[in-house]
Amino acid sequence: MTSLLLVEDDEVIRIAVGRTLERYGFTVTTASDGLAGLDRFREAAPDLVLLDVMLPGLDGIGLCRRVRETSQVPILMMSARGDSLDVVGGLEAGADDYVVKPVDTSVLVARIRAVMRRAAVDPCADPAADRPAELVFGDVRIDPGGLEVTRAGRPVALTPTELRLLLELAAHPGVVLERHRLLRDVWDYRWQGGDSRVVDLCVARLRTKIGAERIETVRGFGYKLRR
Amino acid sequence: MAVLAAVAVTVASGSIGLAIHQSTKSRQLYYGRVTARGDLADTIGSVRADQQVPASLVPPKLAAEALTTTSPVTFYDASYSPQPVMWAAQYVDGNLVVAQYPMASEQRDLEALDRHTFYAAAGTVAVLVPLAAFGAEFAGRRLRRAARTAHRIAAGDLDARIGPRGRAGDEVHDLSRAVDSMADALQHRLRTEQRFTADVAHELRTPLAGLVAAAELLPDGEATELVRDRVRVLRSLTENLLEVSRLDAQVETADFVAVPLREFVGETVADIGFEVQLSIEGDPVVRTDPRRLDRILTNLLLNAHKHGRAPIELGVSGGVSGSVSSLTLTVRDHGPGFPPDILAEGPSRFRTGAPERGRGHGLGLTIALGQARVIGARLEFGDAVDGGAIARVTLPRIPDPTPDT
Repeated sequence: MTSLLLVEDDEVIRIAVGRTLERYGFTVTTASDGLAGLDRFREAAPDLVLLDVMLPGLDGIGLCRRVRETSQVPILMMSARGDSLDVVGGLEAGADDYVVKPVDTSVLVARIRAVMRRAAVDPCADPAADRPAELVFGDVRIDPGGLEVTRAGRPVALTPTELRLLLELAAHPGVVLERHRLLRDVWDYRWQGGDSRVVDLCVARLRTKIGAERIETVRGFGYKLRR
Repeated sequence: MAVLAAVAVTVASGSIGLAIHQSTKSRQLYYGRVTARGDLADTIGSVRADQQVPASLVPPKLAAEALTTTSPVTFYDASYSPQPVMWAAQYVDGNLVVAQYPMASEQRDLEALDRHTFYAAAGTVAVLVPLAAFGAEFAGRRLRRAARTAHRIAAGDLDARIGPRGRAGDEVHDLSRAVDSMADALQHRLRTEQRFTADVAHELRTPLAGLVAAAELLPDGEATELVRDRVRVLRSLTENLLEVSRLDAQVETADFVAVPLREFVGETVADIGFEVQLSIEGDPVVRTDPRRLDRILTNLLLNAHKHGRAPIELGVSGGVSGSVSSLTLTVRDHGPGFPPDILAEGPSRFRTGAPERGRGHGLGLTIALGQARVIGARLEFGDAVDGGAIARVTLPRIPDPTPDT
């Protein structure tokens, strides 16, 4: 059973979303502010964190950053403003994706499942698994079977989303992948959904981990992995 | 303006030149007459009835005039050869006594005067006309610029300003400042209104998020369905208001990607929740912003569903894969057609036309139009010949980005 931590200061949303998610079979722990959220996270070690951007005390972006210091657990942000800088801040801090409030339960559950699928990448189901044991891009080595990535011999800690993005780029070496295609293939969005900033900021995080020169930006188009 | 100034300067210097010419000439003739009369008196006094000038040379007009009086008469003969002369004549004891005074030097003086007047006038025109033309053109250009800016503001470019140009205190400068401050005031008012709408919609979101989540917890039943339906309406109204205020603020930018329309339109129709007859020619791929195109199509389809009658058709036509030049998406229903005011003026918010069209909140078409503008598409509303409303979205050709990193 998937356990998740819900950090939300609005009592009605916290209770209602929590109960609804329990009906969908998730184990839900809740917290009403950032610092309490951090404590709960350390105690409960949830499989996924669902947090509001605007929180009293430690805000969602700060909490996101603190969680990322020790963990690569999937993080989904909830924002009241999809068009604001909150979203960018949250994604920069390491969130995997975001939803805009008010969110339909079906949409929220679909997003949670999509990000959990990435966390539970089945090596056999991955197309990259058919490839030779190791993929090499400069000083970056990817083991698609063991899902391990090293840079100059040292292991690189990637979130499930970052790993999926890297595997997707690695599966098409030298090919420019459009951002909307990545939204579909990595984030499970359809044409109508998804925000390409999610891709941009995930690429930015990936670059800081495997080296900026590894991923080439084709402006207005997409990204490709450089050998 | 410049032509007018040139004509005015030419006429003025011409008249002044003419006046000087006339007065000089009449003064010369006066002196000529006096001198000729003096000569005549001398001639009469000294020679007395002595004919000095051959009679054949005396102008007949002078002779005839002298017959009528006993006083001396004068006559200016401009055509006398080799030089113009002033004649004086008098009958003394039945004999015509004449005297001539040559007017050559006066004639030369007058010609010189005319020449100088002409040069002076021509010089004045040469200097003044370009100056006048430049001045007039400068003022005209500033006025035209002011008019253009006012048109741009009227067309919705609230940042357009004429700007401080020219000397403070001149009329064009004052007019420009007045237009600019009017635009500032309008912009401020409009921005305040837009911000208020956005803030209201945004503030509604948090309680609405709780309401949406709480409504999901209600036990299923008729009452729950009623509540959920109203929550959905309230939510869509809030979302649409936010979308309209974002479009009004003109901060939206399109995110163009290559979209395979067959797959894309299929997904849009699958999400809509009622039956739509789909027809697509070929397998077109077009560069557009899929989220915004989806908003346009969804709003047009919802509008057709609410206000028109089935069957609702969505057609995609034109355009070749790769080099799409013009691709048209058409949403058509078989209802009463668009109300006349939408056909005449386009959609406006919170107006759904006839009261019986009632059920919408009238933002859908406004949003469709605004999003079409963001992706550079043309959205036209019309009625089919055999009844029903037709909305047509024509997508522009967006060139592929150059892969220059």
